[in-house]
Amino acid sequence: MAYPIQQSAMNAPRVGKILAILARPPAVAIQLMSLIVLAIAAILAALPRARAANEIAPVYVTPAEMHSGALLLRGDGDRNVAAPLVATDVDVTVSGPTARARVTQLFHNPSAGWVEAVYVYPLPEGGAVDTLKMVVGERIIVGDVMERKSAKAIYEQAKAAGQKATLMEQERPNIFTNSVANIGPGDSVLVQIEYQEPVHQSGNQYSLRIPLVVAPRYNPAPVVQTVDLKPDSQGWGSVADPVPDRDRITPPVLDPSVDSPINPVAITVRLQAGFPLGEVKSQHHGITTDETSNDTRVIKLSDKVVPADRDFELTWTPAAAAVPSVGLFREHVADADYVLAFVTPPALADAVQQPRPREAVFVIDNSGSMGGTSIRQAKASLLYALGRLKPTDRFNVIRFDDTMDVLFPDAVPADAEHLDRARSFVSALEARGGTEMVPAMQAALTDRRGGEQDHLRQVIFLTDGEIGNEQQLFDTIAAMRGRSRVYMVGIGSAPNTFLMTRAAEIGRGTFTHIGSVDQVEERMRALFDKLENPIVTGLTATYSDTADTTPSALPDLYRGEPVVIAAKVATLTGTLEIAGRIGDRPWLVKLPLANAAEGKGLSKLWARRKIADAEVARTLRRATPEETDKRVLALALDHHLVSRLTSLVAVDTTPSRPEGAHLVRTELPLNLPAGWDFGKVFGERPARPAVRRDDHAEALPHGRLDVQLAVEKAGPVPTAPPAPRTPVVMSIKADKSGVTLPQGATDAELRMMLGAVMLILSFLLLVLRRLGIGLAK
Amino acid sequence: MSALPLPPAPTLRRPPRLPTAAAAIFALVGLVLFGQGIWIHAKALLAQVLLERAFAASLAGGRDVKPWPWADTWPVARVEVPRLHRSAIVLAGSSGQALAFGPGQVERTPAAGEPGTTVYAAHRDTHFAFLGDVRTGDEIRVTRRDGKVVSFHVTGTSVVRWDASGIDADADGRQLVLTTCWPLDAKFSGPLRYVVRAELSDEQKSNEAAHPPNSPVPTE
Repeated sequence: MAYPIQQSAMNAPRVGKILAILARPPAVAIQLMSLIVLAIAAILAALPRARAANEIAPVYVTPAEMHSGALLLRGDGDRNVAAPLVATDVDVTVSGPTARARVTQLFHNPSAGWVEAVYVYPLPEGGAVDTLKMVVGERIIVGDVMERKSAKAIYEQAKAAGQKATLMEQERPNIFTNSVANIGPGDSVLVQIEYQEPVHQSGNQYSLRIPLVVAPRYNPAPVVQTVDLKPDSQGWGSVADPVPDRDRITPPVLDPSVDSPINPVAITVRLQAGFPLGEVKSQHHGITTDETSNDTRVIKLSDKVVPADRDFELTWTPAAAAVPSVGLFREHVADADYVLAFVTPPALADAVQQPRPREAVFVIDNSGSMGGTSIRQAKASLLYALGRLKPTDRFNVIRFDDTMDVLFPDAVPADAEHLDRARSFVSALEARGGTEMVPAMQAALTDRRGGEQDHLRQVIFLTDGEIGNEQQLFDTIAAMRGRSRVYMVGIGSAPNTFLMTRAAEIGRGTFTHIGSVDQVEERMRALFDKLENPIVTGLTATYSDTADTTPSALPDLYRGEPVVIAAKVATLTGTLEIAGRIGDRPWLVKLPLANAAEGKGLSKLWARRKIADAEVARTLRRATPEETDKRVLALALDHHLVSRLTSLVAVDTTPSRPEGAHLVRTELPLNLPAGWDFGKVFGERPARPAVRRDDHAEALPHGRLDVQLAVEKAGPVPTAPPAPRTPVVMSIKADKSGVTLPQGATDAELRMMLGAVMLILSFLLLVLRRLGIGLAK
Repeated sequence: MSALPLPPAPTLRRPPRLPTAAAAIFALVGLVLFGQGIWIHAKALLAQVLLERAFAASLAGGRDVKPWPWADTWPVARVEVPRLHRSAIVLAGSSGQALAFGPGQVERTPAAGEPGTTVYAAHRDTHFAFLGDVRTGDEIRVTRRDGKVVSFHVTGTSVVRWDASGIDADADGRQLVLTTCWPLDAKFSGPLRYVVRAELSDEQKSNEAAHPPNSPVPTE
């Protein structure tokens, strides 16, 4: 209210001047009037549009555009901090159905100050972290698992007291952070974590994935500029972030064209398959393989160390053509026995299985984060998929970024004409814009022929899954899935596996990962073999004795897939009975538990899957958040696992930072996943960390030293601190976009201002006219 | 304001010419626009009176009472900042229609004091005009529809984009977020929002422990 009056007061003195200049010729006045009217009309017309543009079009940044604005380092206040460096060694032992990974990281502080390093760890979905060790000087401190809040408190206390401490927390089920406090100037700290994960089996191929990068995730608004205004500091305060955990899960990203790759990784896999091995292959890295016996191998990277910029994937096949069709393993921990069973259903070639026609809905993500090789992989995959359709099938194609197009109003027969249209539609796609996945999923799940049962309805969703509103997507699938099955195809070197796996689980489909262009055909063929041949449906598992099994509901099986069941049993007697239908024929397998072979880490895997089950129950609203929390906490504490609610913490009780010395927190920049537009061949800076080898020589756990030193010898650990940079204001999007906030202002003031301006104008006109009359006289 | 009585016809001695007609049109449009602006504020003020009444009826009757028969929303809580002597009745939903009358509880956020993050949004020039004066440590008191009074204390403020607020409705703990457009004195609506974060006060937490939040809250 006050503003318009002020405005008129301001304008009043000008009236005289304007009059003096323009009053005399009325024609000029008229021209002026019409100009003003036009201008006001234009302003009024532009108003709603301007607002709409503000609301709808957030600024998008693709990795390619990050050349200039890449977030590199975050300082504390106005202090610039050199990044701590980290060398990583991964040692995985595969024994039969499980793999145990030991990740050793050497944190080195090249700066002259005391530093806290925060490393963001990608871990495989389904991995169970249970051990944390810290090596300081000659001491090994073993971490304890405890409730997340208590662990954090202990860590913070140690940090404040100048003690070396390390804290392993779960940020997302597949993203962990490791914080190491009080690394002195030029000092190094060795931290080791261990996790257990199941080996993945599909057909006769077994695989193991070691994720090495956390992709910067993209959201409806990838660039967020935030300012923290502390009310007590008045006015513009320091730059901070509103997302409490954003800085934890979006580490600074290095532009490889500017910085040499840091965080080199060495990988060793000790493969004890339990059967004579055939081919052993790494999908994305060069490897050397040592054959130690006919069923064991030792696999190392041929480059010794690689930058942590793409996931490591190892696959192996049995030598014999006949794949073991049943695997049964047991482990005795505490008072309980744990069982892990793999059963591959027989392929009934002779079974009268008329393949049912399918209604396939393809959804392709052409958002900005798919830029570079990802969109090419996605397009190639979709084109391959179109080629696999049979004339009896029906199909449709949907593309989305922050907008969406549905190619045909309804599913159309897969004839030449429609396929041609679809192919040209797909070929023309370009990656740009945001990722609004939910409307696309809704469109894909909208089933216009819900009553028809002759077609299998399948939604094939191709995306990198880099969105923040994951929960919304799960809700959509759970609510709308009906008879449709959702198959997630993860594109790119580091897709969001958590989202993909969970979405596929809720959608009762599968998750396929395509990591590079040359995998497209192989992986898509495997997927389509499955899509065309759903083999076993209605699976159930029953024990003759009481048992706590996971998963609680078994998914459908496709060609070559095994049933995988983990259970906690009271006694190792009795049988496990697996029943289902192969095509229309009943199928039943009985496994005597007493004959199970000894396995390792099965209890951890069981607990990890029970935790995942509890989270799924929450997602599907079958359990309240409180029930879920209680269940997860109990499982995690019992089995010594890091979870959403528990963390591992280790504190060296000897203080190392002298009192008064300032501790600065920095983050370890992550390498961008390879193949993103911005990725180029890395130039490496020859440099080595100033590691005092003797310091931890004796302290290292058995056999670790050689490998660790190998990392150091290989030497691409750059010590040269990156040039000091100003604190960064931009942060690459939050993982969670969070609640969408509504428009928080009315246009009342604007209207009143405009109204006042109009009134003043009319007043002016009248004065003008009077003066005009006066002149005419 | 001084411009208001100016377009009178008696000053004209001849049939109105173009400038006069233009002046009249301008005056009319100006009055309408100005009136609309005032109406928006008046509506916001008036509605709160009706809402207070409806909320009192809700509390007494234990069921949702619509403030006026054709309303598509209903009061869910009263939010107060005791230090600033400000209060407002919060409506269900954050549609533009609801926000014209009072702060809205953003859809899919829990009731205040329940686990998760409750988000109340309002316009910066009406109900949340005071948000800029709220400081860290201030108490925010919420009277819920069921009569329970929960108290929060402000932990911080920030500015976020509307579509990347980072506010997780299912976050651990019990938080309250008040939000409005940013900058607070801008004339046009932009993509930024001012966010005041508050956490359930400690004494409240110990109460919660005594009465688990999921058990039905007694209305007395």
